[in-house]
Amino acid sequence: MTRAQLLARLGAGLGAGLGTALLLAGPTALAQRHPMPETAKVYIIWPADGQVVRGGFWVRMGLSEGGIAPAGVEKPMTGHHHLLIDVDLPDLNKPIPNDRNHLHFGLGQTEARLDLPPGRHTLQMLLGDENHVPHDPPLMSKRITVTVLPAPGG
Amino acid sequence: MAFTRRLLLLGAAALPATARSQGQPADHAHDAAAPAPAPAAPPAEAPRQRGSAPPDAYVYIGWPQDRQVIYGTRFKVWFGTRNFGVAPAGVTKANTGHHHLLVDVDLPDLNKPIPNDRNHLHFGLGQTETMLELPPGTHTLQLLMGDADHVPQDPPVMSKRITITVRPGRPQAAARETQ
Repeated sequence: MTRAQLLARLGAGLGAGLGTALLLAGPTALAQRHPMPETAKVYIIWPADGQVVRGGFWVRMGLSEGGIAPAGVEKPMTGHHHLLIDVDLPDLNKPIPNDRNHLHFGLGQTEARLDLPPGRHTLQMLLGDENHVPHDPPLMSKRITVTVLPAPGG
Repeated sequence: MAFTRRLLLLGAAALPATARSQGQPADHAHDAAAPAPAPAAPPAEAPRQRGSAPPDAYVYIGWPQDRQVIYGTRFKVWFGTRNFGVAPAGVTKANTGHHHLLVDVDLPDLNKPIPNDRNHLHFGLGQTETMLELPPGTHTLQLLMGDADHVPQDPPVMSKRITITVRPGRPQAAARETQ
């Protein structure tokens, strides 16, 4: 990559509204993580650890001592939910991946409808900032296990 | 607050074709101000345009439940939100809002910003739960979503109004009661 291309990429990053810290440090630097109070916590309200469900179900996501803000909104003490399904924690210094194992709730949703195949699954919540980067300290729930049974009549 | 709202109305009148008056006649702000059925209604009191909400959006009080008896005057209330998102006050984004908890009070005027007092608790940071402290007795609770400026959406996104009974007691007693 030439120097001109690098500068062009930096310019594009600026246009996309990336964090100033990220820009100053260069495109390959780790994103700066936002602080959260030690008293804040996220937790899965429902289902409970070990719960057996039949068919599709709703997950309710709880947050204490903090607020929910949609992705893209930078405000201290806030973030948005991510639900990790059947996967270990990602690199906490990078934006949370966006795929079928890492669900994003960038609109500020606090509930999620899941339709998982029958069997055992793990669920864990992880709060991310406006750029989907976990806070410091990271706000994550306990990783729980649920057992999904086939839907009634299906 | 009144000053801010007046500014907003001025903004709406000055920029009739912007997103603020989306889907409405261009002179909506003037229409709203002009009829003035009440004899002394100043323009600043004209109903402000309300943001929209999907018809299936709703909020509910996850805990406590209707007619719950709670032992202990300090307890947690959590807010459920479905088919709708949470955003802090001041953030304008479609299909989002922030919670207001109405305590021992009827619904306010849905065309105005929700009052801010001990009967109308605002959660402008985007909180989805709170610790509530109420004296012993019977109380009502109801959730009402508001937009960036604390004005309810159209249709309003609000919960059922529930009634709870608070009794003096220790938190441990409250924990046993709910299990």
